[in-house]
Amino acid sequence: LFYTRKYASHMLTKKPPALQSFLSLVSRHSSHLVRQQYDVIVVGGGHAGTEAAAAAARVGAETLLVSQKIETIGALSCNPSLGGVGKGQLVKEVDALDGLCGRAGDWAGIHFSILNRRKGPAVWGPRAQLDRQRYREFIQSELLSTPRLTVLEGSVEELFVSEPNPEEPGHHRVTGIRLANGSHPISASSVVLTTGTFLSGSLFMGQSKSPGGRIGDAPSSAGLSHTLRERLGLRTGRLRTGTPPRIVKDSVDLSLANVHPPDSHPTPFSFLNTHTHCKPEEQLPCYLTYTTPGVERVVRESLHLNCHIQEDAKGPRYCPSIESRVLRFPGRRHQVWLEPEGVTSDILYPQGLSMTMPPDVQLRLIREIPAMHRAEIHTPGYGVQYDFVCPTQLSPALQVKSTQGLFLAGQINGTTGYEEAAAQGLWAGVNAARCALSRPTVALSRTESYIGVLIDDLVSRGVTEPYRMFTSRAEFRTSLRPDNADLRLTLKGFEEVGCVSIVRYQEAVRVRDSLQDALATLQALALSTQNWRKKLPDMRMSEVKNSLLTGMDVLRYNDVSFEMLASAFPECLSHHMEFSQRLKIEGTKSDLGILRQIQKEENMSLPQDINYLTLPVSLSHEVREILDRVRPTTLGAATRLQGMTPAAIIHLFNYVRRTGQKERRSHRNKPDQREERKAEPAARNASLPQ
Amino acid sequence: MYFQVGLADAETIFALSSGHGRCGVAVVRASGPASSTALRCMTRLTRNLPPPRKALLRSITDPQSKEVLDRGLVFWFPAPHSFTGEDSVEFHIHGGPAVITAVLHALGSVPGMRPAEAGEFTRRAFQAGKLGLTEVEGLGDLIHAETEAQRRQALRQMSGDLGRLYQDWSHKLKRCLAHVEAFIDFSEDELIEDGVLNQVDTWVCDLQAEIERHLQDERRGERLRTGVQVVIAGAANAGKSSLLNTLCQRPAAIVSPIAGTTRDIVETALDIGGFPVLLSDTAGLRESPDLVEREGVRRARERVDQADLTLVVVDCAHLPSDAEQAATFLEGHLRSVLSPQEQSLLVLNKTDLLPEEQRLELDWELRRVSGLPPVCHISCHTNEGLQDFLAVLHRSVKTLCGDPLSCAPTLTQARHRAHLQQCFAALAQYQRYRDIDLALAAEGVRLALTSLGRITGHVGAEEILDIIFKDFCIGK
Repeated sequence: LFYTRKYASHMLTKKPPALQSFLSLVSRHSSHLVRQQYDVIVVGGGHAGTEAAAAAARVGAETLLVSQKIETIGALSCNPSLGGVGKGQLVKEVDALDGLCGRAGDWAGIHFSILNRRKGPAVWGPRAQLDRQRYREFIQSELLSTPRLTVLEGSVEELFVSEPNPEEPGHHRVTGIRLANGSHPISASSVVLTTGTFLSGSLFMGQSKSPGGRIGDAPSSAGLSHTLRERLGLRTGRLRTGTPPRIVKDSVDLSLANVHPPDSHPTPFSFLNTHTHCKPEEQLPCYLTYTTPGVERVVRESLHLNCHIQEDAKGPRYCPSIESRVLRFPGRRHQVWLEPEGVTSDILYPQGLSMTMPPDVQLRLIREIPAMHRAEIHTPGYGVQYDFVCPTQLSPALQVKSTQGLFLAGQINGTTGYEEAAAQGLWAGVNAARCALSRPTVALSRTESYIGVLIDDLVSRGVTEPYRMFTSRAEFRTSLRPDNADLRLTLKGFEEVGCVSIVRYQEAVRVRDSLQDALATLQALALSTQNWRKKLPDMRMSEVKNSLLTGMDVLRYNDVSFEMLASAFPECLSHHMEFSQRLKIEGTKSDLGILRQIQKEENMSLPQDINYLTLPVSLSHEVREILDRVRPTTLGAATRLQGMTPAAIIHLFNYVRRTGQKERRSHRNKPDQREERKAEPAARNASLPQ
Repeated sequence: MYFQVGLADAETIFALSSGHGRCGVAVVRASGPASSTALRCMTRLTRNLPPPRKALLRSITDPQSKEVLDRGLVFWFPAPHSFTGEDSVEFHIHGGPAVITAVLHALGSVPGMRPAEAGEFTRRAFQAGKLGLTEVEGLGDLIHAETEAQRRQALRQMSGDLGRLYQDWSHKLKRCLAHVEAFIDFSEDELIEDGVLNQVDTWVCDLQAEIERHLQDERRGERLRTGVQVVIAGAANAGKSSLLNTLCQRPAAIVSPIAGTTRDIVETALDIGGFPVLLSDTAGLRESPDLVEREGVRRARERVDQADLTLVVVDCAHLPSDAEQAATFLEGHLRSVLSPQEQSLLVLNKTDLLPEEQRLELDWELRRVSGLPPVCHISCHTNEGLQDFLAVLHRSVKTLCGDPLSCAPTLTQARHRAHLQQCFAALAQYQRYRDIDLALAAEGVRLALTSLGRITGHVGAEEILDIIFKDFCIGK
């Protein structure tokens, strides 16, 4: 069932095939090898689209990826970096599910650092500056070497829908697409739309406004947008974003900025990599500088020339343009990071200077910053406004509830960020493939992953501004650590989802078993305080207790490392040195019993066939309507809905518990086979050292 | 007029809202869309409804038989300015059972009307957003308030004093959490300095102190709700059961001159000057070969341990006649009945059997000895000294409950106490992990907010993000 994949293609010692040969292969595809029929068609070649296509193919579906321009597949449209606090967790999880972006980051990274190192391992943020070209090359070569995946250049003109399958919920069923160049239709059981900012996108610079989703690319056809809104009746909203001007590196006086070096030992994103492609000493620094009162003056003087800032589509509060920062927090200096774009690139990316004024004003503005007083602009910044589909219309599988087989991922769902897009893309691809192969769709819970948090927030709460991941969104943050994403997801990804290769699975099993073994050994290692002191003379053990302390207890001490324990007990611990850091983290984390109880409530699922309008439970009319509209899948999701009252939750809780008991009683004599199969890996998970 | 009755809440409910039993005035209330219809056809107001929220004296008639049932005041509360937020009507009628039954019967005959279930008015008020969670609990107390002081505290809670206090804590905690979260999610890229955390340290510390003070009200508010536990204890045949019977003015316990008459706990609820008291009579404390009596003594000791106040009853006739020796005897006796910290009153019974001068001498001596509880002389036989004793008892009970009309709002629910304790413990977790692991420290603040949220309502991640983006310029 599972495709056994060779990892040769992305072994870091081997360069991916050159871009040129890739393009020739693709063009051969488009002339001869494009079939009339696929299991899954993915529209769009950004972070969501590439993960979706690769995931669908991994699950076993014949997959077609359609992108406007082959050469921009895997392009980093905005900042040249990956990961960060919260976002880094998403990269680790995508990697744990065998996705692309973690390994691509390890290949293309030129500056690695772990953010939040002082703040506890659960909120560490692995992050890297990337070489744009290397990143694109890696993604393209990965797609090329993925079996069952075809890449086609073209613009989608039309989405075909027909009558729904009466046995499934929904009003329509997706059947395929037609490309703009007038060629014949291509049919598919599932279609994943990852159109990014291209859905009715408009570009803004100064007072000019033109259709498009990214500068240099043709606007997408109005046909798709029309089908979604008019034919499928989907509610859409409008959001805005922007990108800063790119600066010619040689024109910047970097001696006037603060150097920000990378970690001396780069940590790879991927669980499969032990080191990054870039050698530690070859990493490039970033630079930090600040805005001046002159910057604020230029913004204020040019407001009348800036139509993006005057439009009323919603932009993010956390990644605002320099205009909105200055207007909302006047009289302050704001940080500007100057980031390298690649090893051989002669461009710097000024993070924090996203702007939409006319190009001549942009130049005046950046020259108000001392380090850039003679800087030249390579490409001016601009703003984008685009349509998104209100994501409450999606199921937790990211399928449009009203349309069978139609999946959406990325900015089309109102999110922002590469990592958020990649995570959704992967999950939409998995479900599109499962759907096409007549397997049940799958969902991730917020208790087990950031991906689950992301999707649950989207489908149960919707968005009011571009959605970005923060660790504060995850209630179970202390257990959703970046270091344990493999234990949380890789096993499940293989056993239940089918998107993980056997190689990765076996590695995760090995890690799990070794960790369990090491933890058991540490637990069995019980000594008196005096004996510990003899063994570890450097340790400051403050209190003298009569009872025995285990190796786990001792590992909790701040000044005790696993290395110290291993050198004191080489015979039983030294072979676990590979996991010294993970073991130390396992040792420090506290056991929060309350979380487990919340987790149980969180996972209590609400039956999807409930008629909330007539449910014989005391609920106000308003609450009934909210529940009927959103149809939360778990009780936890229901509590997060706006307008829910505590009393309503209690009534709902009681109702579900009552009916749950009734159902269990009536099903007792005919056990469900699928549940039995599920129960096994769950039981295995329970013993994991999470 | 016909109303579409589809949802449960579109039905109109009615009930007797004043207490059951014979009383001067009874209040019958109706809430829901058919209220106005009911008012019209029972008061024969054909054209206009009465002015909102104004009393109107009308004859109240049965809509079917047209028979006049009573003459009383009617009130019209159009939505949303009513207790439930729906159209409501009140009938203030005479309190005789026959009148009440007739009016309720008549209301039931109006189309779209049905009798309310227990607590249904409150539930509708809550769902219409008219009440917060603490206010609903306060209201439940109000309905069950049996004594004057309980009613006053329930009213106080209804007006939202306690709700405001908890709400205020919730705001402070939200701010703490937002600042910790901002420091975790943004400080690496933004201008958020470590000073932010020092500020949070101060807030958490202050909040902990405030919650601790609130928790240390020694269960006063809770006592007021459930009643002060007063236990009568002492040697066999000291007159404990007689004291119980005297206090509750009825023969609740069997009284006989035979020692060991009372074997199990006898309980009775009392109203002492407006405060609810649960009075228990216990078996006399003595060694006994009788298995049943031994169990009774064990239960008596257990009850004394749990008591808020113990009345230690002593038979005057058994006191040494020398005053000094008597004082020493009493000290020893108290130690054998109570553990040192427990609150008690010393009740010297059968005072009618003591000669006047011996009693004065004893009083004088007892005043010299420090560390004794208040002493009362009574005679359950002649009721001598009973008024003085009741005054002392009232003072003690009042101190235990706290005056609901003064000082900070006290706890009224054991549930609140449990959540506040959790909240307090969670804040301690913040302090424990503050310098070791900020994610675990933040978890403490989150748990604190969740615990408090179980009293004041849920706080979502978006609310925290709102504060972050208001307080900090996040630019990356």
